[in-house]
Amino acid sequence: MRNFYIIILAVAVIGGGVLFYAMRGGSAAVEPVDLGELEQQELIDMAQPAGVYGDPDAPITIMEFADYQCGACKQFGLFIKPQLDAAYIRTGQAKLVVHDFPRFPHAFLAARAVRCAGDQDRYWEYHDLILHSQEDWSPMKSVTGHFNDLAKELQLDTRAFGDCLASDSHADVVTANLRLGEALGVTGTPSLFVHRGGPPVIRLGGSGFLDIQQAIEGEGEN
Amino acid sequence: MTAPARLSGLELPAFATPGIKGPGHGSPAGAGPPRNRMAVAVFSLIGAFLAFYLLASNLGWTPPVPCGAGDCGTVQSSKYAKVGPVPVSGIGLAGYLALLMLSLAGLQGRLASSRSIPLLLFAGSLSGFLFSAYLTYLEAAVIKAWCRYCVASAIIITIVFAATLPELKRIRGGSGP
Repeated sequence: MRNFYIIILAVAVIGGGVLFYAMRGGSAAVEPVDLGELEQQELIDMAQPAGVYGDPDAPITIMEFADYQCGACKQFGLFIKPQLDAAYIRTGQAKLVVHDFPRFPHAFLAARAVRCAGDQDRYWEYHDLILHSQEDWSPMKSVTGHFNDLAKELQLDTRAFGDCLASDSHADVVTANLRLGEALGVTGTPSLFVHRGGPPVIRLGGSGFLDIQQAIEGEGEN
Repeated sequence: MTAPARLSGLELPAFATPGIKGPGHGSPAGAGPPRNRMAVAVFSLIGAFLAFYLLASNLGWTPPVPCGAGDCGTVQSSKYAKVGPVPVSGIGLAGYLALLMLSLAGLQGRLASSRSIPLLLFAGSLSGFLFSAYLTYLEAAVIKAWCRYCVASAIIITIVFAATLPELKRIRGGSGP
């Protein structure tokens, strides 16, 4: 009996340890990570955008700080982006650059999920799909299953996607994006900036098509 | 303290005598506690940790379950992942804990020879085994996705079920190993 109780105790200790590790976070990153102290240029270099829509050499850049769980970001991504596409992006005048600014509970994992899809060159498809299904996954307690389902729907390499999502892949870059937004004074999403590769950087008061049109036309006149 | 009992000249340990209603219930003299119940306890405890982990992930208490193939999410988010409002992992946790308690009770002196412990252990593990078999069928034929943790749980409950087979002998009145 003594050996039996030793085995039971060992199983309890090992099992408890594994559970403790898993409940503390395991290896899957679902919230910003510690980047330590970064110089401004280091932060800019690190905060690579999640996606660039349009010609990377287009003279005008429309920067969006987005949270995939925010309703207004869904509106922007699904309804304003096509208008921008028709008016400025397809003509080669502008490009849309999306930066992560995850504030809602599932937004950090969502930002990582979209970047995991980006690893397989399917960023924009996943971006649109995750926004389309936002109302489905937003109230969920655990969204991993849904994000994996979306990857399956897009016929991604689900093993690679699952591994990416369950790890801390892109956690540093998403965190750097968040810190860049904070450094630029972003407090809500979507927050938009328009520039021509340098100053003046115009910060938009709204996220409607007319706000952007006004900024681009006005900026072009300068 | 119960006095040792004398039976056909053999002196039985005190812990083996209470509750004996006929020959062959519980462990035979000198055989020690039933080893199969030790196995049930150990594997039920492992199963309980696994079920708790899945339940915690399902309820959002932990980060996503690292699955590798990415199919755990499909299984866990399917409509078969719950029975009414109760996650299947919650049912599994309750089942494993019940089997753990029963097997530990079945190793204690007074209860080792109880008639109800073998019955409850066998019935419990059989229910778990059949439920797990049904869930495995759903994974294979309906959801068409595999969750490695669910498969691990299915293996564990199969081992637990196999370990409770000697209880059949005790239910019928014989003595198990």
